[in-house]
Amino acid sequence: MKERNTTSTLKRILVNCSSQAKEYGGCVAKKVPEVERDMCLKEFLALKNCMQNVCLTSVFCYIKNFSMSANASSSQLTVGLSGSGGLSHAYVQYPPLKCNLPGSRGLYYDDANKLLLSPTSDQVFSWKTVPFSPHVAATADYINEGPVLSIRYSLDAKSIAVHRSNQEIQFFQRETRETFTHMCKSESESILGFFWTDCPVCDLVVVKTSGLDLLTVSFTSKSVNLVETKKLSVNWYVYTHGSRLVLLASGMQCKTLTGFQLSSVGIVRLPRFEMVMAKSDANSKPVLAAEDVFIITVYGRIYCLQIDRVAMQLHSYRFYRDAVVQQGSLPMFSSKISVSVVDNVLLVHQVDARVSILYDIFEDSRAPISAPLPLLLRGLPQSHTGRPVNVGESLDRNSSNHELMFYGDDWTFLVPDLICDVASKSVWKIHLDLEVISSSSSEVPSNLEFLQRRKLEASKTKQLCLAITRAFILERRPVTMVAKAIDVLVSSYSHSVKTCSNLKETKVDEASASVGTNASNSSRSAKDESRVGVGDKSFNLSASDSDDQSREIDSRDLQKSGKENLLGAESSRGEVQSSSLHTQQLGLGNNQLNANNSERQDSQLTSPAISPDEMYSCVFVPVGEEIVGDPSYLVAIIVEFLRSTNSEKIKVRPNIYVFTIQLLVRYERFAELSLLIINKVLEPSKEVAMQLLESGHQNPQMRKLALDMLRQLSLHHDYVTLLVQDGCYLEALRYARKHKVTSVRPSLFLEAALASKDSQHLAAVLRFFSDFIAGFRNTPEYQDYFRILNEMNTGLAV
Amino acid sequence: MGMASVNTASEGMQLCIFDLRRGQQEGQELDKILFFFPADLPFATQLSVIGLSEGLITFTRIFSPDAACEVIEAERHSHVFFEAESDIWMVMVVEKSKESKAACQVDALRKVLKEVHSLFVLFHGTMRSMLEKETSGGLIRSHLYPFITDYLSDFLIGKKLQLPSFHDCLMERGTVQMLTVGREAAIEVQSLVKVLECSAGTTSCYSLVLFQDLLVSTTLSPDDTISLFTYAVLRLTPHALSSGATSWSYLQRTNAGSQVPALSTITNSGSVSDNIYRSRDTSLDQDNNCQVKRPLHHNRWFRGNDGFLASDIWGADNGSQTSVTPIVYLQLTEERMYLCAYQYKRLTIILLVPVSSILNGEQGLSLVKQQVLENVCVLSVPASLKMLRVEEKLSKGWGGENAYHVSGYRYLLVDDERVSRASPPAKVMTLAKDSLLAMSKLREEVNLEKRAKCSTSEVNSDKELEICVRAKNGAWVIARTSRGKELYMVLEKASETLLYASDAVEKFSNRYCSGVFSLD
Repeated sequence: MKERNTTSTLKRILVNCSSQAKEYGGCVAKKVPEVERDMCLKEFLALKNCMQNVCLTSVFCYIKNFSMSANASSSQLTVGLSGSGGLSHAYVQYPPLKCNLPGSRGLYYDDANKLLLSPTSDQVFSWKTVPFSPHVAATADYINEGPVLSIRYSLDAKSIAVHRSNQEIQFFQRETRETFTHMCKSESESILGFFWTDCPVCDLVVVKTSGLDLLTVSFTSKSVNLVETKKLSVNWYVYTHGSRLVLLASGMQCKTLTGFQLSSVGIVRLPRFEMVMAKSDANSKPVLAAEDVFIITVYGRIYCLQIDRVAMQLHSYRFYRDAVVQQGSLPMFSSKISVSVVDNVLLVHQVDARVSILYDIFEDSRAPISAPLPLLLRGLPQSHTGRPVNVGESLDRNSSNHELMFYGDDWTFLVPDLICDVASKSVWKIHLDLEVISSSSSEVPSNLEFLQRRKLEASKTKQLCLAITRAFILERRPVTMVAKAIDVLVSSYSHSVKTCSNLKETKVDEASASVGTNASNSSRSAKDESRVGVGDKSFNLSASDSDDQSREIDSRDLQKSGKENLLGAESSRGEVQSSSLHTQQLGLGNNQLNANNSERQDSQLTSPAISPDEMYSCVFVPVGEEIVGDPSYLVAIIVEFLRSTNSEKIKVRPNIYVFTIQLLVRYERFAELSLLIINKVLEPSKEVAMQLLESGHQNPQMRKLALDMLRQLSLHHDYVTLLVQDGCYLEALRYARKHKVTSVRPSLFLEAALASKDSQHLAAVLRFFSDFIAGFRNTPEYQDYFRILNEMNTGLAV
Repeated sequence: MGMASVNTASEGMQLCIFDLRRGQQEGQELDKILFFFPADLPFATQLSVIGLSEGLITFTRIFSPDAACEVIEAERHSHVFFEAESDIWMVMVVEKSKESKAACQVDALRKVLKEVHSLFVLFHGTMRSMLEKETSGGLIRSHLYPFITDYLSDFLIGKKLQLPSFHDCLMERGTVQMLTVGREAAIEVQSLVKVLECSAGTTSCYSLVLFQDLLVSTTLSPDDTISLFTYAVLRLTPHALSSGATSWSYLQRTNAGSQVPALSTITNSGSVSDNIYRSRDTSLDQDNNCQVKRPLHHNRWFRGNDGFLASDIWGADNGSQTSVTPIVYLQLTEERMYLCAYQYKRLTIILLVPVSSILNGEQGLSLVKQQVLENVCVLSVPASLKMLRVEEKLSKGWGGENAYHVSGYRYLLVDDERVSRASPPAKVMTLAKDSLLAMSKLREEVNLEKRAKCSTSEVNSDKELEICVRAKNGAWVIARTSRGKELYMVLEKASETLLYASDAVEKFSNRYCSGVFSLD
């Protein structure tokens, strides 16, 4: 589809960009056969720029299959056209969230509560960024006048803390507008920053040059109490609420880092570790800055990315409970680097090169999942010609309010997936275009794997997966390849089913959490219990992920609570269960009910996993309609599907068996079919038996199999009826007597006996029913057949 | 040699094949004989046997045009008739042994005739088509002699032809024996089969999968399955391959010695009569004899390096060392297929590839073979790996030689006259002679009953039947049929009452036949 009508554009590109193309081609040719990813990137970027300029003169183009995947050669550039919209693996959607207020004194981001904060002289305005909506209204809170270094709302959103100076943090209670100030005790140390925490022992953590202060904040006594101090010389720190991890840098080069994880489970001190930094020469000692270190949370694992400017590499480290392990490095093509995480995909923004590279670091693979492409702006109103804006191209000059520099100096990348344009005071959310990403991948199984891991836009992703699978089968790819793709889908489904219970519990947890805030303590301990459950589950869940998971810091539930309990309070495991058991269980029961109701829709949306039913209705049936001729290919694939479901122990509904039978019968593959039935590859069920009966017109063997199946399933009524139909009424009677089948009308037997013209048999049947069914002698049926029998006998006698 | 031939003659078995459409003119009677065993019998004797048979057929046809004569029981001989193809008859004359009169199993003998015919058709196509191709009859005679003598050599025990007798009453020739597999293994097998069939490239491939001597999977029609299965068990399975190497080499060794074994007599005598025929059919040139393939020739299959079974029966390809792949005929569609057999440990996979789909013969076929193995191996789930897994799974699920032995019972289960399962032969051997004789008699009766029903009411051919007989030695001999399924059973230890015996059958039926034979 995308390759259509490419000739004219291609021609133009080749004419206009011949020199760049030559350079790039030469570069690739020089390195062949050692084709590596990212080779000749400089040349490629030049060529790409040129091509894009050419494309933009008519229609924009999209570059696909850049040589990023290890085996594709770099020369394989496909330029395609699309008439509908821009294609890029990631984009921002117009319009942005505007945070422009008169008198604003800057923008702050509170990542714990996902709030954008903009203080004015005596107020602070906040915008919710989750769920992201450009039209969200700001909420205002009053604070005193004064300098603002940073602002953070408490996790229960009841109070605000403002970092005023090196020595001072001021607290405000939102409802009562009560306020008090916390000052640094000694003059020698200064406050670097602070954050609220859901750690059981404290509410607030203040990072000072001398270490961490763990504090509890009490508005009743208008004071903060020091709980614990972690002494440590700190140059700068990095913290994200998603990971609950604070990294403290110390040393001359600031490359010695100490980490603390302050989660609801407790405080974990990570071993001190050194960042790797290359030296340009023996004497230079590069200093690591706070901007060079990013904490990211991907698939519930916590990583740290560190920029090494000399080596031009982005080193990654993974955090475990008792170790920090360096994982490998990503290349840098720009001196300024920023990262985002969207739907567990890592985006490395090469700001100077104006491109973003996507990585899926699920299986320690360092290969990018698509070509380096710029972010794209989508959804611009018609007045802007509907043309997507590419690399650094500024928008329509006429509308100055929309003037936007992509990858400009004003861009600040917020954790995890927001871009804040400080100049225009607008905030953008980064989206992934999974369709584009998947269309640039030729490896369908791994592509499906990638898609199945996406959680945002689950229903869309699911449709995409279904479409890919359908196309894959229709292209008649080798069965083993399709089998692999199916394995991916099935194991993903089985995984989602296994975690479904987990999901449910989280929901319960969430529901009770909201009750917890309303009805105070009563349901808190109830929540505790479910929290424990979640903890255990997610532990199992991550255990299947990879290597030494047991030691891993499990941020999965942290993340979850971060997402779900936006402003809600979180209690911790360690909290005392004080309330009465009675109210607790009542509350839990009620909540569970609600949770179940809401969960049905939610769980469908939270995972793109494809159930066997959907496989049947959205893949096999449509494919069956389109495939003409021999069905053995499709049957082969269904068998692979059954193998896959069987190995994952997933139940399959009979409709897929019925479908298989129809396929095989249509082409009279009775030998295969009976083998599948006998070996129970197509599991016995009433539906299957009925379908077999239907095919029995063509092949009596099928009818026999159907009868056997009915008997084995103990579907006595159907079995007896069919036996009578076959004229085996005596056998049917015996069976009916043995299994006490009374639901079959006696007249059926009598008719069959009459049809056989055997008066003895008729008499036997009549006698049987008068014995078997009480009161049968008084029915008109009995009278009728008794008369018939007499006539037969007299006829014989005569 | 003369001694030996006397031996075989005194064995009292005669087998002839004749075509009623030939030699109807006076003086040309010899022309109707397509095959006669023993071949060194004077033509006059041959003709008298055939004449008698022909007369009986013509006579009985007056009363039953569709199914003429089936058997004649004379005082000392039984004549077993089988109309292999229309107007082509196979007749076997067996001498009744003195000790057990009427104990020879007519039905089993007819199955022998049927089997040899179906095997012949599998490799050579129908006799009629062969006769049409070469009207003199020399071609079919030159094919029939080695084929049937090779086949009969399987019945040789020492120097005697051991034809099916009452000893074999608990087995059914011409049926397949299935391996019982669990669902998981069955899916694995199906998956393997599909991958193989699809990787061969053409859509109309068929396959047959055997584990040891048991059928695991087939995509062929039932009749083709039976003949191919029979051939595979006779010559292709690991058991057949190894027995060819050991026991047969023993016979070969004796062959090399001064003693003349019976088989050489058979083949020699065949060639003797061949010469006789050739002397008459001058149109047949001398080389024809060399071109006659003998698919049943012993000890000619071996496992190649690539895992595929190869045989020099069909000669070697010109120029290359690879042996020619045999071609078989499918009965239903009369399609010609290449037979490729692959063996991995106890697993034998037979893949039938249509001749029409392969363009340049042997080369194209070896390409397909490569594809089957390689093409699938390049991908991450190689067929061979799959094969390994399937073999492993089946081995795990297999209970060994005596897997289907049920202690206390000696039984034979026949389903639809196509699939059978029986107590292992070694266990059947433990039965007393009286029991076996009784069972043999009972089977005869049941077969008569079955046939009678077939002829009278065609619709309800599979009625129910239950017979329990107390044998001389006190054993219970039981037969039950129900909706096309047959169960034969000997209970030697179940003495006492009929109730006890019938209870035992009930138990067996519920346990192993999912209650098919439970009468009430």
